[in-house]
Amino acid sequence: MQFIALCKSRFLAGRFIKTLMVMKITVFLVLVASMNVSAKVYSQKLTLTEKNAPLDKLFTEIKKQTGYTFVYTESILKKARTVSLQVVDVSLEKVLQICFQNQPFTYEIVEKTIVIKPIADAEVLIPVATTDITGIVTDPDGKPISGVSVEVKGIKQGTETDVNGIFKLKGVSASAVLVFSSVGYEKQEIVASNNPVINVSLKLNSSTLGDIVVIGYGSTKRANITSAISSISEKDIKNLPVAGADQMIQGKIPGVTVTTNSGQPGGGVSILVRGITTVNNNQPLYVIDGVPIIASTSSGGMDYLGGVAGQTVQSPLATLNPNDIASIDVLKDASAQAIYGAAGGNGVVLITTKKGKPGEGKLEYDLYYGQQQLQKKLPIMNLRQYAQYYNSVLAEGTTTGVTDTIGEFLNPSVLGSGTDWQDAVFQTGNIQNHQLSFSGGQGKTNYYFSGNYFGQDGILINTGFQRYSLRMSVDQQVKNWLKAGVSGNLSRSDQKLAVTDGQQSVIAAMLYNSPATPVKAFDGSYVNTTPIAGVPFGNAQNPVALAALRNVHSIQSKAYGNLYAEIQFTKDISFRNQLNYDFQLNDNTAFQPNIVNPDGTVILSPSKLRVDKSDSYYYGLQTYLTYNHIFGKHALNFLLGHEASYNHYDDANVSVTGLTLNIQSLSAGTPDPAAPAGGSTYDGASESYFARLLYTYDNRYSVTLSGRRDGSSNFGPDKRIGYFPAVSAGWTISNEKFAQDWKTLSFLKLRLGYGSVGVSSVPANTYTTNIRLASNAVGLFGQSGVPGIPANVGNPSLSWESVVTYNAGLEAGFLNGRIELTIDLYKKITTQMLLATTLPSFAGLDPNPPNNNYDEIEPPYTNAGQMTNTGVDLGITSHNIKTRDFGWNTIIVFSQYKNILDKLNAPGAVLFGKSQAFAPVTLTESLAGQPVGSFYGFVTNGLYRTMTDLTSGPTPMLPVGVQGTWLGDIRYKDLNGDKAITSADQTFIGNPNPKFTYGFTNSFSYKGLDLSIFLTGVYGDQIYNYSRMETESLFNVYENQLSTVLNRYSAANPNGSLPRYNQYNENNLKISDRFIENGSYMRIQNISLGYNLPGKVIGRAKISSFRIYVAGQNLHTFTKYSGYDPELGAFNNNVLTQNIDYGHYPNPRSLTVGANIVF
Amino acid sequence: MKNSLLYILLVSVTLISCSKDFLNRPSLNNPTLSDYYTNAAQVEGATGLLYNQVWYNWLDKAYHCIGEVYGGNMLTSAGDPNYGNNTYVYFTVQSTDGQDLLAWQAFYQVAGNATVLINTFQQIRNSSNASFIDPGIAEARFIRGVAYFFIARTFGDAPIVTDPVALAGSGDYNLPRYLQSDVLKFALNDMAAAEAGLSATPYQGGRVTKYSAAGMAAKIYLYEGNYDSAMIKANEVISSNQYSLYPSYVDMFTTAKANNNPESLFALQWIAGGYSYANDIQAYAGPAPLMKPDFNTGYSSVIPTLDLLNAYDTGDLRKGWSIMQQGYSNSNWKNSLFPSGFSYDTTVGGGADDAYHITNGTRSNSLKYINGPANNGNPSDPTSAFGDGLCLYVLRYADVLLIYAEAVLGTNASTSDPSALSAFNLVHARAGLTPVTSLTKQQILHERRVEFAFEGDYWYDIQRQGFTMASQIINAQERGTLNGDGTINHVGATFTTPSQLYLPIPSDEVVADPKLAMPAVPYY
Repeated sequence: MQFIALCKSRFLAGRFIKTLMVMKITVFLVLVASMNVSAKVYSQKLTLTEKNAPLDKLFTEIKKQTGYTFVYTESILKKARTVSLQVVDVSLEKVLQICFQNQPFTYEIVEKTIVIKPIADAEVLIPVATTDITGIVTDPDGKPISGVSVEVKGIKQGTETDVNGIFKLKGVSASAVLVFSSVGYEKQEIVASNNPVINVSLKLNSSTLGDIVVIGYGSTKRANITSAISSISEKDIKNLPVAGADQMIQGKIPGVTVTTNSGQPGGGVSILVRGITTVNNNQPLYVIDGVPIIASTSSGGMDYLGGVAGQTVQSPLATLNPNDIASIDVLKDASAQAIYGAAGGNGVVLITTKKGKPGEGKLEYDLYYGQQQLQKKLPIMNLRQYAQYYNSVLAEGTTTGVTDTIGEFLNPSVLGSGTDWQDAVFQTGNIQNHQLSFSGGQGKTNYYFSGNYFGQDGILINTGFQRYSLRMSVDQQVKNWLKAGVSGNLSRSDQKLAVTDGQQSVIAAMLYNSPATPVKAFDGSYVNTTPIAGVPFGNAQNPVALAALRNVHSIQSKAYGNLYAEIQFTKDISFRNQLNYDFQLNDNTAFQPNIVNPDGTVILSPSKLRVDKSDSYYYGLQTYLTYNHIFGKHALNFLLGHEASYNHYDDANVSVTGLTLNIQSLSAGTPDPAAPAGGSTYDGASESYFARLLYTYDNRYSVTLSGRRDGSSNFGPDKRIGYFPAVSAGWTISNEKFAQDWKTLSFLKLRLGYGSVGVSSVPANTYTTNIRLASNAVGLFGQSGVPGIPANVGNPSLSWESVVTYNAGLEAGFLNGRIELTIDLYKKITTQMLLATTLPSFAGLDPNPPNNNYDEIEPPYTNAGQMTNTGVDLGITSHNIKTRDFGWNTIIVFSQYKNILDKLNAPGAVLFGKSQAFAPVTLTESLAGQPVGSFYGFVTNGLYRTMTDLTSGPTPMLPVGVQGTWLGDIRYKDLNGDKAITSADQTFIGNPNPKFTYGFTNSFSYKGLDLSIFLTGVYGDQIYNYSRMETESLFNVYENQLSTVLNRYSAANPNGSLPRYNQYNENNLKISDRFIENGSYMRIQNISLGYNLPGKVIGRAKISSFRIYVAGQNLHTFTKYSGYDPELGAFNNNVLTQNIDYGHYPNPRSLTVGANIVF
Repeated sequence: MKNSLLYILLVSVTLISCSKDFLNRPSLNNPTLSDYYTNAAQVEGATGLLYNQVWYNWLDKAYHCIGEVYGGNMLTSAGDPNYGNNTYVYFTVQSTDGQDLLAWQAFYQVAGNATVLINTFQQIRNSSNASFIDPGIAEARFIRGVAYFFIARTFGDAPIVTDPVALAGSGDYNLPRYLQSDVLKFALNDMAAAEAGLSATPYQGGRVTKYSAAGMAAKIYLYEGNYDSAMIKANEVISSNQYSLYPSYVDMFTTAKANNNPESLFALQWIAGGYSYANDIQAYAGPAPLMKPDFNTGYSSVIPTLDLLNAYDTGDLRKGWSIMQQGYSNSNWKNSLFPSGFSYDTTVGGGADDAYHITNGTRSNSLKYINGPANNGNPSDPTSAFGDGLCLYVLRYADVLLIYAEAVLGTNASTSDPSALSAFNLVHARAGLTPVTSLTKQQILHERRVEFAFEGDYWYDIQRQGFTMASQIINAQERGTLNGDGTINHVGATFTTPSQLYLPIPSDEVVADPKLAMPAVPYY
């Protein structure tokens, strides 16, 4: 290799050998490489006359006249030809050109030293006869293309086209081959043939093989990739009316399952990269321009204002402006992830933001505006139906126990429809987005600036999301060997929330609130309950008042970005230093006014304000060296680096109550004794070394080796270091000789990969036993100090969770890339999971770790258990029709995985998923041999419809009788065959994990028109419809129900499909398959129709491109699911509580109109 | 020279290797075990927590469900899902019930916290010879004994764990159930150790003493039917002359000023205001109008049964001290609705609850552990939506006196033993009733019911009578409510099998440990 050869030179030996000996290999490489820095500052003029002179003689003469010295090995000059020349006042450059013409070696100039070195195999001699060439490069429509790379094949000569598509090349030989290439176009080669003008029209490229893929600490061409990486670009995700980039990639990337956890604007999003990796946090690592985003975003718990907390985890990407994204690359298998080592176990999402490109400045304005609304309403009874229902329950008084006759209901037909609580709680919300950006590049500076505003009203009253963001990025070629840049992203997002998910969710309360109660009284005040015939109707908490009067915000202010300097020592070797930073302020407030009606009815009370502020900062220093070299058929890319990072989190919260005049200010109230001021501080650090080698032979065989050594403060002193190696190989079969004649199959590549990555996500300091300081308990027994009790059981031997992936991939291209297919099969095995030991409750430690409950001693975390995911990712891109005027492309994305929890920390260990209620009940059980988060309960077998049913079968759970098990009650199956229905007859009744998910995009273009239809879907998952346990509970006659309850079993309706009205016991409301529903759906996720205004129309206004469009998002969902929305996600991203519909905030349907204008 | 500077820069940057301490990030929030429990105050702080929050999941709702609703003293409001959807009223509680699980978890959590402290203290004691640890060990053993007593009474046969940390490390959690008698014996052993290690007088007001342990042992012995031992242990407490009946029965349950009075042998300690640190009973048992302006409190979720209302003898002052009914008033309880004091008003002609009137199913609310509205004008007796600071009695002197009387009676049909009569009549007479001259089991049980109503104990009194008698008592109770016209909508429990004597082992636990479904084995 080149640098080895140089090592032997006298120059090095004499001057640097001592230094080298004490240096690490990294530094060695750097130094050696730096020898080659070239400087073109040789303006001295020479006068020489020689005939057949040996070269060293000429060197002496040149040194005399210019002061430049020569460095070479004796052996190299042995092959030198003699030189004849006669020059007068000629530049050194010209003289050297003559001297080295047709010599078997070449030279480079370092400062005032001329280094002589052998010619690399790939390089050919510069021919003598040359022509200056110019030309214009255009697209198929004849429009000039800027930034096209124009290179002379085989030598280091090249340029780019300017904004007008014009290029200029000097001194090109007649036999030279010019290579024109640009992303998105097919590469074209033209022989120069002494033509002074060469105009080229490039064809659009349908193949993605030439695309650049970001692979972590670098990028490479897709053709060189040997691991499973999927990418999408800006154009795939633009103009989607959602808050975050995570939602935008839903259904677009094979192997990546994206589910919104809530329709709450800015709400949480579950992203699973190839199934469920762990029972812990499954969130992938997001890396934006090299900056890992580690700050989590969550709102304050609503429980402070009373009730259950509801969903609090928000999307970490909602604070980031997706309009600045240029591309997203997802590292899916361990051989790709290993370069991120311990952070990569859940997959890595690499986001690259837009940068300025060389050329004339560009001003771009994007905007859209739209409206959002509820996709469907549930068939809840109106007042007439409700009265009819009430009367029917009353009519069966002997078995229902309902005896209060309500005169007002006796003739339902005279009643109105009553309050439609759905209309009262849901609204039509506006959504808008404005993005203004400036970008460009002049000479050595490229820049990009943007400002963005995104605003969205929720479809639930008093919810919404707003974000303001600014981005700036500057890249400067400081020296020809030094590039430096800085990027900064500032954003402020403000989320306005309501309680969602759980017993006290606004939607849950709304669903069963009585249609007999008004939202407000005539005087405009809210109403809780209304007495009708002495019976109170309504809800102690008016759901509209709850949503409208409370003011709960989660505000994030964030700054992140990087500062880098990259030294290009040679064409091959570069060295990059990058400082990453991420700084975030969270400001969560929850406010409730004191609202008491004149008649004394309390609507909300007492007044409360909680303010919870936290700040977190992160900084990391990355240094890495990249070596790229092509010699002959060998292509090599080597990376070696070091990274250290530190993060710090600080939080303080304070609560006040008794706010004067309901002023939302800490100064208006007094400290709330129920919630003393609190706070906490955490920090963490990591240090890593990493290396990667990409080697390709003859574009046929490729191998990638990578590894990372990670150190993390999450583990005890003896267990801090983890090693994560990976290897993958690729064989491009279509580049083999025997494949040259393949006609249809234009590209075929096989990939195999194996790798090991880790997960270190475990609460800080769990390796040691911490003392919980019970600050709330100060004053017990008159003691003044804060009492302390062990908070957990430490485990000093706790170490890394391991994720091993085997991957086999096949990439095929047909008809010159008209159809491209990528298929990956994988097996992912997670072992040594960081499991909070799950003990039965009787052990006396926290039975539901890692929920850090207030009064429980946490069991030790251990490395235990195993989980396997096997799956297939499939992506097909087809350019069905491609003519000058009409285009039709189809993209199919298919993701399938099967998750099995092989074992936990003990044979009987179970992880429970519970309902969000005051007395939580178990909904899911995760234990060995089952998919994670499986629903667990009873199996139903119709109803008891006859006395024989009741008496002949297995003994019912409750004694036979009206107050026990009776006609019309649900008949559960006796699964264990003990002739009695008991809790032992529960089993796994559903799987929330889909069998597969898919996305299907068709885009059409005709002249200036474009149309895109995007369908996405999920197949084979099950949903636990907890809401229906309330809306078909048939338990409390004062609560509203779905209209389906009109067809319940009763003596008068013995064939009714629903069980009887039963207020005596909860026998019919067991967790059972009664509430399990098919969660499959296919959704028209997006249809957009756009039109590019013709150039002659907009040209006069100095506009270079103007596209207007209309788009519909979430237009229709084909599903059998009876609830609002089958897309449920996981409560607070917890895989143990997936697909549970309990007062869930449905995803809205939106219609938007927008425009992209480029000046 | 440019390159030299460059080299220096490169070397310095590339050779960066963080120091070893870079990855060492001990908690910034709290001490760790290795540098804690180094003085008596820290030990006392830890044992103090065993009187408080660890009991919360029981106190919150299971306390009423089991002790009172099961026992027939209270009703849950129509099908409240938070209280087992009426199943405690009908005696149909199932193993999937939320409160069943919470009670199980709470008792074992108390035992687990106490056990971790016992073992931690013991290790420190073994290595440091620090004698200030010893009272802490005895105090924690007292708490653990009480927890296991509750476990044995509530669930019957049950597992026993003496080293949760070792169990966590073992990977095998399939413990059997141990015979109830052995669980009780385990509790008694803890009481014996506690009695031996605790001082005669509390080192802080409200701390347990050796007599607390003796009294609790008497209660366990009585539960077992070991009358001789119960009598001996109860007599130890009585003859210490350290405890006495508190003159104001009503104050004991309505104001924190009476906390840790001379009648209290063991009471849970609560801190007003803090969720899970405070006594939140009034939030659930209290009527909404009283609790104004607090919104999330005063649910009347559990209310006295008609059966209990009728159980009081004429002239028994405890009825008025324990229950709010039409005509009850308290001039100290002022809020925005009742600026001159609260009055309990059920007189609304067939109407519903409104801001001022209370029309729950029995037109009554319990008064015990009701501290009044948040702004009750008494800063020394604060309360909030999350609760107040009223201590919750687990063992009071009146109980010891009645245990003594019952132990003396033993298996006899009746007794006129003067010491038994004297003990009984102390309690009886405080209620304004005429002293009795002879005692039967029925009399004592009745006395216990009205004396300890709403204190979470009555179900256990019924249960220890055995299935036959317990089912007679339960099935005879009126568990119904009043209709709008004042007629009774009758509801009775269905108590038909001995298995209903104990709450079912929660099904989550049986899934995790199938051995719990198998017959119990001896522990000793």
